[in-house]
Amino acid sequence: MPTTVSASSLTSPLRLTFPTISQVNGKACNLTIVSMSWAKNGFPSLRTSRFRVSCAAKPQTVEKVCDIVRKQLALPAETELTPESKFSALGADSLDTVEIVMSLEEEFGINVEEESSENITTVQEAADLIEKLVQSKA
Amino acid sequence: MNFHCFQRSFSPASSSYQSPLVPVNLPSPMETHFWFVLPDQIRSSSLMNRYSELLSPCEKDHVLSMRGDQLRKSALLARALVRTTIARYVDQTNSLVDPKSLKFRKNSYGKPEVDWENADWQPAPLHFNISHTSSLIACGVTVDAQIGIDVEEKARKIKSHVLAFARRYFSSHELEHLSAITNPEIQRQEFMKLWTLKEAYVKALGRGFSAAPFNTFTIRFRPVIPKGEIRVLKDTDKKASEIIVESFDDPNILTSNWQFALMELDGSHYAAICMEKAKLVEGKEPLPLRLSVRRTIPFVEDECITGTNML
Repeated sequence: MPTTVSASSLTSPLRLTFPTISQVNGKACNLTIVSMSWAKNGFPSLRTSRFRVSCAAKPQTVEKVCDIVRKQLALPAETELTPESKFSALGADSLDTVEIVMSLEEEFGINVEEESSENITTVQEAADLIEKLVQSKA
Repeated sequence: MNFHCFQRSFSPASSSYQSPLVPVNLPSPMETHFWFVLPDQIRSSSLMNRYSELLSPCEKDHVLSMRGDQLRKSALLARALVRTTIARYVDQTNSLVDPKSLKFRKNSYGKPEVDWENADWQPAPLHFNISHTSSLIACGVTVDAQIGIDVEEKARKIKSHVLAFARRYFSSHELEHLSAITNPEIQRQEFMKLWTLKEAYVKALGRGFSAAPFNTFTIRFRPVIPKGEIRVLKDTDKKASEIIVESFDDPNILTSNWQFALMELDGSHYAAICMEKAKLVEGKEPLPLRLSVRRTIPFVEDECITGTNML
């Protein structure tokens, strides 16, 4: 049976550690020591003792970005929006891009430097930057 | 790329009225030629096809990458406008330059410019910059001076509140200026004017937005006191004022290389132009920025716009 972790409360800090070797279905299984902690703003972060795991943007982040972009550009429902969609190809001008960045800042509680916002040209790039900023806040 | 005509148009912008491009004289020092196209005036599919034939394969790909007919049309018209406009100036001999033959490249910061390498002729050092909204596409041209332009619909509504936006992105002086305006509609209009001027400045600098973040410089109207008069003019006295930019890196030094113009086009758009000042000739007065505005439908008609509403 795989070990699962569930948190019943977000208010108290939760610290769990796993042993280096555990018995799973009778077979030895190597696990590196992993601890999970809840960051101050409620976003979980995952750290290992050997290396930092950096994740590609979560699907829900990508989806939220898509929603914001759709709303800002007033895209018709039939316009396809993928992570690779370029804002400029959707008709965004620089004022739209700045407004999108502002909405993302509000939605995710982050602050985007103007230099970074120049590099946000697709949904994926926006989502990746958001994840990076959210993680560095944690 | 083929464009289908969705409605019959009886305007002159139909294939039977097409003619060669009319050549024009080069802009003089401190003069900007401002050309614009109104996409709604162009409905002929044969005209659109003619425009698309001017584009390089790369430009065609870019047009096709746009999502939606209107966006594709805008992108096509923008490239056609740049090519046909530059072509009018390039060859001052009797033979017309083919707009299709022009080559373009981007400078190290990504600003588009004409690539004269391998050209057969010695052209003047033309500079250009384009800007478009869904309803107006513009191209500004100068000789030997950096230029940036920006056009926006007057009626454009931003999603956030004007002051929230200004607090986040504009300079404190500009925020103060906007905060002092009580009428929300006027406030929104002043915001749009500031936005276009700031955009035009950054585009003229040509080094990308990170080289001049919006909150590091202020654009404002400064009263111009005519020589010999001692008069106190209000900051809002636009009739005798000039637009200036101040950089926060050193607030005591005006960023005086740049000259601005702001106008209202077609009753529906704000257009801002930022142009590098001509080098001063010893003993001579600096030249004021002159503007020559032309509405065009390339290969069909050109119209000089006089009495443009300068703001």
